[in-house]
Amino acid sequence: MTQPKSDLPQGTLDLLILKVVTLGPIHGYAIAQRIQQISREVLQVQQGSLYPALHRLENRGFLAAEWKDSETGRQAKFYRLTAKGQTELKSETESWKQLAKAVRLILESSEANR
Amino acid sequence: MNWWRRLLKRSEMERHLDAELRFHFDGLVADNIRAGMSEPEARRAARLEFGGVEQVKEECREARGTQWVDDLWRDLRFAFRWLRKSPGYSLAVIAILALGIGANTAIFSVLDGVVLAPLPYREPDRLVAVALYLRAFKHAIYLSYPDFLDWQRDARSFEQIAAFTPPEGFDVASFYAPEHVTGLEVSSNFLSTLGVKLALGRDFSVAEDRYHGEPVVIISHRLWQVQFGGSRAAVGKSIIMNGVAYTVIGMLQPGFRFGNQQADVYTPIGQGDPLYRNDRTAHDILCIARLKPDVSLAQARAEMDTVQEHIDQLNPATERGLGAYVDSLKHYMVGDAGGTLLLLLGAVGLVLLIACANVVNLSLARSAVRTREFAVRLALGASRVQVVRLLVTESVVLSLIGGALGLVVARWGLKVMLTAVPGSLPRTENIGVNIPVLFFTLGVSMAVGIAFGLLPALRTSDTDLQAGLKEGSRGLAGGHQWAQNVLVVAQIALTFVLLIGGSLLFRTIHNLWAVNPGFDTQNVITFQVGLSPSVIQTPFSTRIAFQQLTQRIREIPGVEAADITNMVPLGQNDNSGPFWVGSHQPASMAEIPRALYYPIGPDFLRTMEVPLLRGRYLTREDNVDSEVAVLIDSLLARTYFPNRDPVGQTITVPHWGAVRNIAARIVGVAGHVDHYGLDGRTGEKPEIYYSFYQLPDDAVPLFRNQIWLAVRTPLGASTIMPEIKNAVYGADSGQPIYNVHTIEELVSGSMASRRLPMILLSAFAGLALLLACVGLYGVISYSVAQRVQEIGIRMALGAQPGSVRNMILRQGMQLALIGVAIGIGAALGLTRLLASLLFGVQPRDPLVFITVAGLLTVVALLACYLPARRATRINPLDALRWE
Repeated sequence: MTQPKSDLPQGTLDLLILKVVTLGPIHGYAIAQRIQQISREVLQVQQGSLYPALHRLENRGFLAAEWKDSETGRQAKFYRLTAKGQTELKSETESWKQLAKAVRLILESSEANR
Repeated sequence: MNWWRRLLKRSEMERHLDAELRFHFDGLVADNIRAGMSEPEARRAARLEFGGVEQVKEECREARGTQWVDDLWRDLRFAFRWLRKSPGYSLAVIAILALGIGANTAIFSVLDGVVLAPLPYREPDRLVAVALYLRAFKHAIYLSYPDFLDWQRDARSFEQIAAFTPPEGFDVASFYAPEHVTGLEVSSNFLSTLGVKLALGRDFSVAEDRYHGEPVVIISHRLWQVQFGGSRAAVGKSIIMNGVAYTVIGMLQPGFRFGNQQADVYTPIGQGDPLYRNDRTAHDILCIARLKPDVSLAQARAEMDTVQEHIDQLNPATERGLGAYVDSLKHYMVGDAGGTLLLLLGAVGLVLLIACANVVNLSLARSAVRTREFAVRLALGASRVQVVRLLVTESVVLSLIGGALGLVVARWGLKVMLTAVPGSLPRTENIGVNIPVLFFTLGVSMAVGIAFGLLPALRTSDTDLQAGLKEGSRGLAGGHQWAQNVLVVAQIALTFVLLIGGSLLFRTIHNLWAVNPGFDTQNVITFQVGLSPSVIQTPFSTRIAFQQLTQRIREIPGVEAADITNMVPLGQNDNSGPFWVGSHQPASMAEIPRALYYPIGPDFLRTMEVPLLRGRYLTREDNVDSEVAVLIDSLLARTYFPNRDPVGQTITVPHWGAVRNIAARIVGVAGHVDHYGLDGRTGEKPEIYYSFYQLPDDAVPLFRNQIWLAVRTPLGASTIMPEIKNAVYGADSGQPIYNVHTIEELVSGSMASRRLPMILLSAFAGLALLLACVGLYGVISYSVAQRVQEIGIRMALGAQPGSVRNMILRQGMQLALIGVAIGIGAALGLTRLLASLLFGVQPRDPLVFITVAGLLTVVALLACYLPARRATRINPLDALRWE
């Protein structure tokens, strides 16, 4: 494990979960794996935050859940994005991008480098 | 899914959560094995990575918004388990709170029923009482029927204005059940002004509300059931009242009431004798009115003053100096009861505070014992909030149980209270444990539970973990002792205030009993008789009938004297009217003095033992054929004949049946009788006595239904009343006897408005005293238990039992005396709230203050004595080994 791992900033986990779930119904374990893979092992999701986040998103109606057979043949809880979740993802992505842009502007500005 | 549906499917949710996390865990294990680990190794790594399963679960539940319900459920279960394990503590707290909350619920339900609840009519806020106002004497008086007709024509503030008479007696003759009922004469728009619907039949027509209109009657639901068995065919049937057949045209709803007396019959006011209905000086009716929606009380008052001024100008001889009185109907009916009840609610609130202080003390002592338990909980990772929540849950459970029992206490207490002091409150039929009362009790219980749980909880949870874990029972002793001392001092101070209030009212009642009302209150029984219609057909036969009735009663062995009267002193009846000395009529109404006219039988004053000061009593020779003779009382003699002998002079009586301004000869002066009340504050008027047998023929029917008999006898009512009944029924069995009272009962009834607060304040003070003693006893006992070792050492070093006892007593008395001192300060400020109720005693009466302070100190000393004596019995050897 040579790669440095970074903790997720508050609220970002929800956004990542919503994004990963857009790819199709997926269970919690796979979500964690997927985030880890896509981020090239930089982001590691702790179960302690993943599951409360999933339940919170389900509770708010952004995700819907269903028990189905998994690839191993065992029953697992599969999450998929709802229409409401789609809207939420869009607006959250938008604001994240704006935030990132703003942060970059400040970090890369000549004035701040002085 | 809604959170409550999740709650219902809780076990399923839990299973799913468990399965979901297990799936994840197994996934980790499988991946680790694939990466080349052995199975035990893979499991271990997965477990490390996964972290605390329970913690994750809890956070998931929290994310779903159902966590608090689980917490509450767990806290409740734990609370019940713990409370069951300490039944002594739980029962003590529940009992104390049941008493405290019960007393508060009872008083609140009285306040709610009497003062807060709206009157049971349509839009009651717009209903007002309207009357005339004597500006010079600043009080409202009845108006005349012509006044009412003028108001009805001129007043613009009201949608409707209706008139009614004070309650009158009617003798209902019936084959089934002859009875005496109360009735009101009302104008045809009376019920519609109130907005009351009939259960059956119709309201009066305007044509019926005139002289010589058809005799019609609207009857109460009760009378309908009794006389007609509730039959719908009763409409159009007739009932005989006072010998006249009335056609029943309508029935009222079951709950209908107007005023404080339940009236059973309502007849049209306009059918009354024109002799009175057309007379501007016959002030014998009152008005109610419904304000127009946009008119305020103040506007109505201003307008009515203008209207009355106009009437005044048109009728200068009769109306001069009279204003109009307009007040909300509710205030008119309820009067000052609101103030007294608020005072009592305040007092009972103090009792609850005292009870709470006791409970807090108990739970402080308990939580000292539980210090270790909480230290363990905190050490195991419980947050402070969780510990406080658990403690508050426990106390709320207790206070809710206490509150529920309090409802039982309240219902029982109300019953006792209302039967103990009848007639002390208006609208008592409206008092009960209803929805607002239930909310009040629930609110008070919750507040009490949270308050008495929170205080000790905050102290307990704010604990030094290490000390708490090491030594459970003594870690917090010092801090608790201080808090307990403060609470006990507060209890004693509050108790002192309540005791002072109760004592002042007790003195008041005592003083009122000592007042000489102007007659001998012992050994007199009064009652009313409805003479049968056959004997009262003419004025002549009526006079004979009353004379014969009186004679029959006088002949009963044991009866010393007896005669009729139209009123009884302190009987809350009134018959006042104008008079003037000599024959010269004063220029305006406002200057005409008013007196209480007492139509009596010639022997009535002797029966009551009202002293004769000058001249002679009335005799049987004062009859319709002789000059009108009157006795005046000492007040009239003193005020209007200051330096001369009134006997032989004349006064003018404006109404003598149809005759106007008749001259009446004063034949004697009697002592003044307290007719309205014993405290002399209720506007005592001079009194004029004349013989019922001298009344002219046309006036006899007006008085014959209001006749009382007064009988002086050393025998008790239960002995003599059967004899009297025999004598009365012997003549005619259709003559009901009712309203049987001893004069002492009337005297006592006249104090009802003070007896209720006295009894309640005394009861509250007694309860407070008991609670405060228990509190003081508990605190001193607790402190002795804490100091066992210290006391043991003292005794081992040679301290005498006496000095140990005194040391403990000193500690208790210090608290008691500080409490009494603070109580004196508070009472000096608060007792003036009672001033309007007191009689013959000052709100700051030093004797009362000294006595109560002494009593409280002695009781406190006794409460400390037991633990102090226990301290002297401590065996030094045991004490030193004591842990």
